[in-house]
Order: sequence, then C-alpha cells, then structure tokens
Amino acid sequence: MAALSDLLGAVVSDVEGVFLFSPSSSHYERFADAELDVELVVVAPENAVGADPYVELPLEFTNVRDRIRFGIEGAFEQGLVEEGDAIACSVGVFGGDADGVIRVRIEESMRSGIYDLFANSRAEPGVIRDVFEVAIELGKKGQKGKPVGALFVVGDAGKVMNKSRPLSYNPFEKSHVHVGDPIVNVMLKEFSRLDGAFVISDAGKIVSAYRYLEPAAEGVDIPKGLGARHMSGAAITRDTNATAIVLSESDGLVRAFKGGQIILEIDPEEY
Amino acid sequence: MTPPLRVQAAESVAVDPIGMLQIGGDPLRDVLGAIPRPIWVALVVGLVGLVVALVLGTLTTRLLVRLGVPDAIEGTAFERTARDFDTSTVEVLGSLVRVFVLAITVLLVFSVANVSVAFSFWTRAVQFLPQLFLALVILIVGVVVGDKVDLLINERLTGVKVPQIGVFPRIAKFTVFFVAVLVALSQLGVATLALVVLLGAYLFALVLLFTFAFSDMLKSGAAGSYLLLDQPYVIGDEVEIGGKRGVVQEVNLFVTHIENDGEEFIVPNRAVFEDGVVRIRD
Repeated sequence: MAALSDLLGAVVSDVEGVFLFSPSSSHYERFADAELDVELVVVAPENAVGADPYVELPLEFTNVRDRIRFGIEGAFEQGLVEEGDAIACSVGVFGGDADGVIRVRIEESMRSGIYDLFANSRAEPGVIRDVFEVAIELGKKGQKGKPVGALFVVGDAGKVMNKSRPLSYNPFEKSHVHVGDPIVNVMLKEFSRLDGAFVISDAGKIVSAYRYLEPAAEGVDIPKGLGARHMSGAAITRDTNATAIVLSESDGLVRAFKGGQIILEIDPEEY
Repeated sequence: MTPPLRVQAAESVAVDPIGMLQIGGDPLRDVLGAIPRPIWVALVVGLVGLVVALVLGTLTTRLLVRLGVPDAIEGTAFERTARDFDTSTVEVLGSLVRVFVLAITVLLVFSVANVSVAFSFWTRAVQFLPQLFLALVILIVGVVVGDKVDLLINERLTGVKVPQIGVFPRIAKFTVFFVAVLVALSQLGVATLALVVLLGAYLFALVLLFTFAFSDMLKSGAAGSYLLLDQPYVIGDEVEIGGKRGVVQEVNLFVTHIENDGEEFIVPNRAVFEDGVVRIRD
C-alpha cells in the first residue's frame, strides 16, 4: 500500500493549487475543512457548494483535457494561478464522481482560448452556450436522420450583416426569436437545410438565416481538409468580432472559431 | 349528487321505526316512542350534516390537490408553518370547510329540535357564519399569495447582487397581506374606512413615484414596442439617431445599440421619436 500512496504523493507533491471539477458537497467540504495551504478552486456548471473561488463551466465538456483547460484558463483570468504553477485536478474522467487526479503544469503553450471563447466574446456567455447546445443537438439527430451541416455566426451582428448578403428571403425577418427559446431547436432543424449562415446578435436574437458571408479570407489558418463552410466561418471571425460555431456535415463535429483560429472541437455524439 | 339522496334514504329509515312504534307494544318501543318526533329529525339532520361535512372537507382537499395548489404554494411561510404542525395548507382549508358545515349543522339541529335558547342570537350567528368563513378563507389565501409573491420576486432578483434589493419583495408581500386583511375585515363588517384611506394614499404615492421616476423608461418602452413591431430599422442598418451615427447592433425594448468604429452608443428608444431616425443609404 505504501507504494500506492507514494504514487499518488508524487502526483500531488508541491502543487500550488487544487482544482475540484464538479465536486459533491461532502467532497468539497472535506477539502475546505482540511485548510490546505494551497489555492482551492471549484470548477462546475453550478456553484452548488457556494465555493469561492469558483469558475463556471458553461458546458459539461466530456473531453477531460478541454474541461481542465477551461478551468485553468478561467482561474488564470481571475489571477488565482500563474504561469509555472503546478496544480492537481480532481476530475471525473468516466463521468459522475471524481475518479482521477491529474497533475498539470501551467504553461503559455497550453493556452487554447477556450475560456475566452465563452467569457470574453462579444456575445453573452449564455448565448454562446445556447448556440453550442443547438449545434450539438443538430449534430446528434441530424435532419430526418441524415447528417446536416450548419454555420452560426454569433455576435457583432451589425458588422456581420454588412459583410454578407442574402441568398434568399430571410425567414427570420420581423421575428423576435432568440436562441434558447424552446421553439428554436425545431425551427433551426427545419431551416438547417437552407444554405448559408445563421446570424445571431450579441443578445441572442436570430437576425437572419440564408446569409452568404463575404469576408476577406486572407491569413485564415484552419486545418486543411475542412470545407467552404468552415473557411467562411473562420474568415468572418477574423474580419469581425464575431464567433463562428460550425457543425460539419461530413464528420459531424462541432467546431468553434474566433479571430480566424479554431478554438474548440467537440463531438456531439459524446454529449 | 350523493348528499341529497342520502337525506331521503335516511329520512325514510327514520320514519319507519316511528311507524312501527305506534303498532308495537313492548317496553323498549314505548321508551323509544317517548322521544318526540323533532328529536329524531334533529338526530338525522345531525348525522347527515356530519357525513356532508366529512365528504365536503375531503372533496375540497382533493380538488385543491388536483388543481396543483400544493406545488404552487410550496415553500411559502404559511405552508411551512402548517408542515410544522404536521398538516398542510390544503388540509387546513379542508378542515375549515368541515368545521363550517358542522357549525351550520349544529345550528340546524338546534332549530329543528325546537331548542329556543337565545333564539335571536343563533339566527344572527347563522347569518354571520358564512361571512366569517369567507373572511378566514380570504385571509389564508392572502397570506399564501403574499408569500408566493415574495418568493417569486426574490427568485427574479437573485441575479441582482444588491443587498438592499430585499426590500422590494417584502413591500409586495405586505401589500398583498394588507389588501387581504382589508377585504377580510370588510367582509366581517368591521369599519375599515381608515385602512382604505391608508391604502389609497399608499397606492397614490406608488403611482406618483412610478410616473416620475420611470417616465423615461415608459416612454422608451412605448417607442421600443413600436420599433420591435414595425422594425423601421434592423440589425445591420446604418442609422443616425440624435447625432449618434453607426451600425445597429441590437434593438430591444428600451434601448438601441449603435456601433461606430470602436464606439458603441446605447441610445434610449424615446430618442427615436424625439429626434427621429436618419437611415443612411449609400
């Protein structure tokens, strides 16, 4: 048994912070009562344990790396940890309760902008989360069983509208539909067969569908092999302050772009 | 439908033994026959009243449960107090109905049995009883609704992190309490003129405050509803409102966001009607 404790001891030795991902309240209290001399950070979708410091998780990332990245970048933003710190993360790798401890050393190269994507975008964090949920839902179910692709441009809608033109009449004209309204899932599923992009404002209003984006595509660097939808989505985020969330028709993945860079890639099937 | 049927059945049963008594001659029947007829009727009326009270009370409780009342008032102070006494609000209302029907039955029994003790007092009591019952129900409903209003507003305001915000739900709660007490008291015929005057003054102050403090908001809201319905300009248009020129980024009920080269103007919608809008076409 001593060897086992040594194994865990090596993982958690000299850490400057402990990150608890979605802890149960008893789990959290054990740590809080222990009065560790290191920073204790809770990362969860809801601050059910009333912890401070706390980083809100907008999506339950099934990819543990994304989840840890998000937590660390959030804590970094709040000034709780700094570069070079080693931290221990208590996470549930196989869902549910915490079943693993992972040691991470914070380095600049880790920075993926995944926290920025939600917290520091032009659009409100809730709107970005809602669009992600719609895209994930659409990716899971498809339209009438067939995979569909979709392109959502979120935020900075005024500028996006000026950098695009309509392909046909806008079905959302004079409507006041917001992402996150219950009707939207069904509506977008139907409209996703239309070509072009959905434009969504900072506050989540669906401004238009059927938009043909006309950004300048110079200097956009996205992985080779992604199609025109991804390219135009990435390019518009370089030209404006918008965020693009793209559901790929060919591989079914949801990707997020900001500033012309791919920030996040998730598989709807895992949610 | 059941209670009237029961009355008939009960009465026929009651008549039969009396009829038999007159024919029979053994001592027991004599004793029974010595009890005057009104007493029998009173007894039956009492029994029927008891059954009706129990049935109506249970029916009330079930009806309220079916209407989803327990869920709706979950967490209010009245419900919690009721829980402390091992009961619930709907149970209390059910018991109230039972007590009310029982009280009426007792009075009915007295009048049928020709008990003439303080007769005028009882007639007045009978007239007063429904009012008392209504007043009690109004009070309970008022307290529960007030608590619920408090809870709802509190929930609404959880995102607003100002400690003093707690005063608004309490104001709303006590307003509802006050009105409920007022209605209940007037139901009982208690002089409430002073309280009504107080309520009037309070509401007048509230309206005055709203018209002065929120007049700009109201104007913007009215203009905003026009903008949202008619959409003279939409997101992406270039406009100039009151000297602020730029691309429209957002239109909501109270304000319009206009952005221009790193400057975002948040213009109140009433400016649209006061200054007009210039739509820039090129």
